[in-house]
Amino acid sequence: MKRTLYLFRSGRLRRKENTLAVETEEQRRYFPVENVRDIFVFGEVDLNKEVLEFLCDNEILVHFFSYYGHYVGSFYPREHYNSGYMVLKQAEHYMDPAKRLNLARRFVEGALENILQVLRYYHHRGKDLSEYVAAIERFLKSALPSCQTIEELMAMEGNARSYYYESFNIILEDSPFRIEGRSKKPPTDPLNALISFGNTLVYVKVLSEIYKTHLDPRIGYLHATNFRRFTLNLDVAEVFKPILADRVLFTLVGRRMLSPGDFDRCGSAVFLSERGRRTLVEEFERKLQSTFHHRRLKRNVSYQTLLRLELYKLEKHLIGEEEYTPFVSRW
Amino acid sequence: MYVILVYDVNVARVAKVLKIARKYLHWVQNSVLEGELTEATFRKLKHELGQVIDVKEDSVLFYVLGNQRYTTRELLGVKKGGEEWIW
Repeated sequence: MKRTLYLFRSGRLRRKENTLAVETEEQRRYFPVENVRDIFVFGEVDLNKEVLEFLCDNEILVHFFSYYGHYVGSFYPREHYNSGYMVLKQAEHYMDPAKRLNLARRFVEGALENILQVLRYYHHRGKDLSEYVAAIERFLKSALPSCQTIEELMAMEGNARSYYYESFNIILEDSPFRIEGRSKKPPTDPLNALISFGNTLVYVKVLSEIYKTHLDPRIGYLHATNFRRFTLNLDVAEVFKPILADRVLFTLVGRRMLSPGDFDRCGSAVFLSERGRRTLVEEFERKLQSTFHHRRLKRNVSYQTLLRLELYKLEKHLIGEEEYTPFVSRW
Repeated sequence: MYVILVYDVNVARVAKVLKIARKYLHWVQNSVLEGELTEATFRKLKHELGQVIDVKEDSVLFYVLGNQRYTTRELLGVKKGGEEWIW
């Protein structure tokens, strides 16, 4: 299976002898181009058009992150799965308010179901989360079906999430970190910094997978399509954030793999240090590579593959073959 | 599948073999590369190498492992290269 290359060092990324090489002052390192799915660039990396052409030929995406770990943008090579048909279908489902609401509701449903699954997991491991489980269940059973507009749906999802984030203090009760509500742009405590960075990774991973399908990342359903950004990846990421980003966060903090020293403070803002980012990325990749038995396919699949499968389900929904149901974790 | 490639070829073709192998596998040390491949990329690799080596003189060995579950790898001395995705 192809892998993701995370570059933290600074140097030059180049095409060298028909493969990818990174040159730093001390050394040159080769990365097998046939095995690279995408590249996440965190260091100060130079590159030229020659390497972009080469990446385009090999259908490799490059995602850039700022010094503070914020998403900067992607090199999205020329689309190789061009499908006007799929774009029309996507637009059709966006333009029809009923169809759009239906899809948006599905994404929120997936997000809440998976949040519930995470809460239940820790509840069964001796953390008293019954209050939160009951609250999220209420959101799912009564608030979700009563939402009649996208705005209501967004507001409801936001409320459910802020409720959910409070539970982090119970799940991580004996760790040195506490969360006082969700803060972003910038995050004001280490847990918020972790949530933000983890979510960013999920967004970008989903974007990479969208490139490998016929879908157009510009048309989202829960997140309004606008002139500025990709939105479909944000929609699909909602479903996976609890089981990928949050579960990895609990592992890292719970096992003491991150300490207060792994965060940099900049005024009231808190960011992950490079070492902290490396640790998170490593655990995140381990999670994505881990496999489980897929009941419907009757074979083992990794979470990485699961992201792609979710997009295929969405394609099927859009072309009217099968109603989309979000992935819900069972453990 | 996990593949370990070991080559012993005439010095005239060493660079060519290395250049091709680096497109698919991680360099470990002189004349040794390894990495995860799919059936298709493994075939492509063998085909490409077949084009440059002299079958009467050169030797390229592939150790093919179904997976790495029951393998361990021990190192004595200097670590020269290997598989790294976070760098």
